[in-house]
Amino acid sequence: MTRPEPRPRRSLGDLSERALAFWLLAPAALLLGLVALYPVARLFYNSLFRRRLTDETGVQPVFVGLGNFAQAWADERFWTALWNTLLIVLVTVPGALVVGLLLALLANLPFRVRWPVRLGLLLPWALPLVFAGLIFRWFFDSQYGVVNDVLVRLGGERLFWVTTPELLFWAICLTIIWKTSSFVALILLAGLQVIPKELYEAAAVDGASRWQSFWRITLPLLLPALLVAAIFRTITAFQTFDIPYAMQNGGSAFETLAMYVRTTSIENLNFGYGSALAVLMFLLSLGVTLVYLRYIRGVDE
Amino acid sequence: MSRGFRQRIWLWLAAAAVVVNGFFPAVWILLTSFKTEAELTRIPITWWPERFTLQNYVQALTGAPIGRYFLNSLVVATGATVLCVFVSALAAYALARLRIPYKTLIFSLLVGVSMFPTVTLLLPLFEMVLALGLRNTYIALILPHAALSIPVATLVLVSFFQGIPKDLEAAAMVDGCTRLGALWRVVVPLSAPGVFTAGILAFVNSWDEFLLALTLMPSQAMRTLPVGIQFLQGEYTFPWPLISAALVIALVPVAVVIALFQERVVGGLTQGGVKG
Repeated sequence: MTRPEPRPRRSLGDLSERALAFWLLAPAALLLGLVALYPVARLFYNSLFRRRLTDETGVQPVFVGLGNFAQAWADERFWTALWNTLLIVLVTVPGALVVGLLLALLANLPFRVRWPVRLGLLLPWALPLVFAGLIFRWFFDSQYGVVNDVLVRLGGERLFWVTTPELLFWAICLTIIWKTSSFVALILLAGLQVIPKELYEAAAVDGASRWQSFWRITLPLLLPALLVAAIFRTITAFQTFDIPYAMQNGGSAFETLAMYVRTTSIENLNFGYGSALAVLMFLLSLGVTLVYLRYIRGVDE
Repeated sequence: MSRGFRQRIWLWLAAAAVVVNGFFPAVWILLTSFKTEAELTRIPITWWPERFTLQNYVQALTGAPIGRYFLNSLVVATGATVLCVFVSALAAYALARLRIPYKTLIFSLLVGVSMFPTVTLLLPLFEMVLALGLRNTYIALILPHAALSIPVATLVLVSFFQGIPKDLEAAAMVDGCTRLGALWRVVVPLSAPGVFTAGILAFVNSWDEFLLALTLMPSQAMRTLPVGIQFLQGEYTFPWPLISAALVIALVPVAVVIALFQERVVGGLTQGGVKG
């Protein structure tokens, strides 16, 4: 970070500016190094050893090379967890984008009093994920849940949301979509507000319908914001943990990759294998993040 | 019907859709928290409580250590917020004002780190906390929570600091202030709204965090609200009256903060590009 740039001569003032920059950045770098960078390095190191605290010899790590990854390759539970996570990404990211876009378009209408609408977008964002999971578990309760109540009133049948595997999956997805679409809407709302109104007026003069101006003006100009929201959502969807955990009270009928990582490393104290699983998850997430970084750098230039 | 009137109706419907979507779960748990247990276990369910009772709140505050969880959450979130904002303000000043090589790289690193899945940090942090004997101490959560909010807080603060005219600092330094003195006496006070925004984001992040809190503070007395309330459900039972009252108690402070400072929160969210 402090490598000097090639420059003919540095003045004393310049040098002290470098030193000052170093000391100002040091605390943040130290904290992030301690809590994020070192743990990730440690994770890669741990993933090369067999180390189970439940073994008699578990305290002593045994070097196994890529053995833990070979174990993951043959581990059906790992593939199920990965598949479940991909399903969550595939369903909830487009879901949250569509619902978020709808909410943003509604919230962008010219209201005179704006705060109730804005609060309606902020509340789900501020609600802890676990709480969203708990509340929606109650909503989807087969006996006392409001979802089944509405279904029955509409002439449908009671569904056993939490105890039927496929229904549990959809209940989890709906909860995630509800919880995350508000955040998507906030990002999209910021994008909508910078679209010049003159464009719509010109289109209206040319006889374009609202539907046409949506497709020809709103959507193309909103595309950068939509992409940012999509990548953010994808990254966080890969990490899904709290909502399925809360809706099943920690159970594993529907297990995501993050849930499997935690169960393996913390509950079963299988440090080596748990680390290997976490490394795989980290690499997946890093891939998506790099796409994102590349994209925002492209926007900056 | 006149055109203006019809438009007003559409506006009202649109507002209602957003508001109902956002508020429904909160209003529902609020109503539920006033229902008696007998009313809750009746089919078909009732939407409006027949008789409002406070018994669930009494039970939540006396039967379960909700007060204790609340205190834990408050200590952890406040500690993490203060630490995070302080450290981020220093870093943001350097990034906004000083000539630093590899600035783009530093920004990319900041954004990249904020995307790390928390669960991948969990095991190494767990080992570290065990080795240092910090399990079940506030510091075990304050440090990681503060660190996880640094990227967001720094990005928000950088954009605010860049908006403060450089002349003001120069003037302060002519009057005998050091560079750091100018930061604390001129830049930070002038960007108070930005500091506030960064603080609220850090506070909400910490107040809502579950995974680390679940793992690093396992003793019952040290649980934060999300963990404590999650554990109110038994293996086969789901004491919803108790849980709903506890949820209301846990949500009120955050809801109040959000309602009071909504404009800043929205601004910060869209500026800092935060996780959702």
